[in-house]
Amino acid sequence: MKNTIINLKNITKRFKVGDGEFTALNNINLNFQKGEFAGFVGPSGSGKTTLLNIIGSLDSPSEGQALVMGKDVAKLSHRESADLRNYHIGFIFQVYNLLPVYTVYENVEFALLLQNHTKAERHKMVMEALDWVGLTDLADKKPDRISGGEGQRVAIARAMVKRPEILIADEPTANLDAENAHIILKMMKRLNDELNTTFLFSTHDEKVMQYMERIVHLRDGEVEKDSIIVAEKDK
Amino acid sequence: MIQFLLKGILRDRSRSLLPIIITALGVGLTVLLSGYMKGAFGDVIDQNARFETGHVKIMTQAYAENKDQIPNDLSLLEASKWVETLHTEFAEMQWIQRIKFGGLIDVPDADGNTKAQGPASGMALQLFDTNSGENERMNIEASLVIGTIPEKSGEAIIGHDFAAKLNLKLGDEITFFGSTMNGSMTFKTFVISGTIKFGTSVMDKGALLIDISDAQLMLDMENATGEILGYLKSGVYNEEVVSKITSTFNNKYKNTDEFSPEMFTLREQNNLASMLDYGDVMSGLVIFIFVLAMSIVLWNTGLLGGLRRYQEFGIRLALGEAKSKIYGSMVLESVLIGIIGSALGTVIGLALTYYMQVVGIDISSYLESSSMIMPSIIRAKVTPELFYIGFIPGVLAMVFGTMLAGIGIYKRETATLFKELEV
Repeated sequence: MKNTIINLKNITKRFKVGDGEFTALNNINLNFQKGEFAGFVGPSGSGKTTLLNIIGSLDSPSEGQALVMGKDVAKLSHRESADLRNYHIGFIFQVYNLLPVYTVYENVEFALLLQNHTKAERHKMVMEALDWVGLTDLADKKPDRISGGEGQRVAIARAMVKRPEILIADEPTANLDAENAHIILKMMKRLNDELNTTFLFSTHDEKVMQYMERIVHLRDGEVEKDSIIVAEKDK
Repeated sequence: MIQFLLKGILRDRSRSLLPIIITALGVGLTVLLSGYMKGAFGDVIDQNARFETGHVKIMTQAYAENKDQIPNDLSLLEASKWVETLHTEFAEMQWIQRIKFGGLIDVPDADGNTKAQGPASGMALQLFDTNSGENERMNIEASLVIGTIPEKSGEAIIGHDFAAKLNLKLGDEITFFGSTMNGSMTFKTFVISGTIKFGTSVMDKGALLIDISDAQLMLDMENATGEILGYLKSGVYNEEVVSKITSTFNNKYKNTDEFSPEMFTLREQNNLASMLDYGDVMSGLVIFIFVLAMSIVLWNTGLLGGLRRYQEFGIRLALGEAKSKIYGSMVLESVLIGIIGSALGTVIGLALTYYMQVVGIDISSYLESSSMIMPSIIRAKVTPELFYIGFIPGVLAMVFGTMLAGIGIYKRETATLFKELEV
């Protein structure tokens, strides 16, 4: 039996634009279970990133309730939001956003510095995460010495090293060629299966959609369609 | 985390190099200017104390009122008794007598006719009394250009420039013409035992130094003295100690009689109080200006650095670091950078100050017509406070600049900062 770890009730998000308001999300109602591999699909401006920001506790809704890991995002303090991200949520970006002055190892280790692990524990966890993405050989390299595909794999290792329950990936393959995109997606699906992490994507990349088990279509801030793709296969 | 931040600072030169250079420059200049002002004001005070004011000075009230005219007719009588009393009551100080006098120096030729003449500014010191410390205090031996210190009555030292002007050499005779304390005319012949260069224009151009016993005889001042000067035995002027001594002395001995003695501290003479205060104010002002300038520059550097690091802040937010922690780490980084820059600046500042202490700046050409007692070479001085006078403000300026810059980042919405990642 799967558990609901994200529960969005009547989510509306408005932004001030000049003297008026722009409604980015309008009355969104969605639930996500632990271990789902789902994607938000839609054109630019459909509200994908805004929705991911709310789920990631980087922003709060104007109306409605977003419960993530049982916590109401709107009611969390800055520190509580940070703790939620620190212990339960990982992020992967379109651009890998590795810290350029640190090595691959240190980039992954940085995520653990925010938690109370000993140096030995950190070493074990970092090497394990690098092993998941097949990059233990590049641990001492700086980000400018590795390829784009390898950079995104480091970003995955950094997001996964803390073993978060939720991983948010915003257009993760947008900067990758087809071969690397498939490698990355297979890797994420494998981690989803092995660690039972909930993956939430935003994308309009067909390659990404092939891997999704559930696709939520957004248009003008509203849910246009919510499709469970492999649900039948699981039965 | 500190180790992690240090790695970032050391590896990312654009994050650390400019702030370190700015801090080091600011701190170095603060240290140098403070050291230079300390040295310059200290030299002026020290020179005045040694040549003119003592740490304290006792004169009759009447003499004090007209001291610019060197009114020896208003001198303190029974000088030896006063000195004895002072030694007994204020043993922490050394007490010496001095007489200042003015007159004309006449240089005779072989036939006794005047060959050259010039006005002399005379000073009679306890030269024959080796316990007086006047030789060391006035640095006479080291300041002699040629010859020796007078060893017997009738010998005199004159300023080296003065001797050159009058075409005098060692062993030549000169005759001093002046007036006694009673207003009669007096003259006495002296043999030149040496010429001296104090590095003080007013002294080098017209000084005549003789022993006080010769002056007392020549000026009819038996057991009288123009001034009794007191010097703390430590050699260092201490306002608190001398004020206490002065107050005790004046309460006990100063009265309505204009010939009763009055003691003055160094501060109370020759406008030195305003100079001492001016030195303190200038020193404070220099530090304030540099800290302000450094803070403004570092604020801007912090803003630019912060903008450049939005990506990093966004990643750190995404990884679960609280904004307050990011702000705290920025401040911590600034402390580390501030310490590195300030330490570097202090070392540079101290090295430059030491160089200026040894070499100094020659201002003798500006003092040719000056009557102020001022050293002709202004030197900086390395003092213990220079080790922190720039260091602490340097660290504070860096931290203050970063805190100001960081507020802008801190106030931005998390999602806005995070959006910087959407390249």
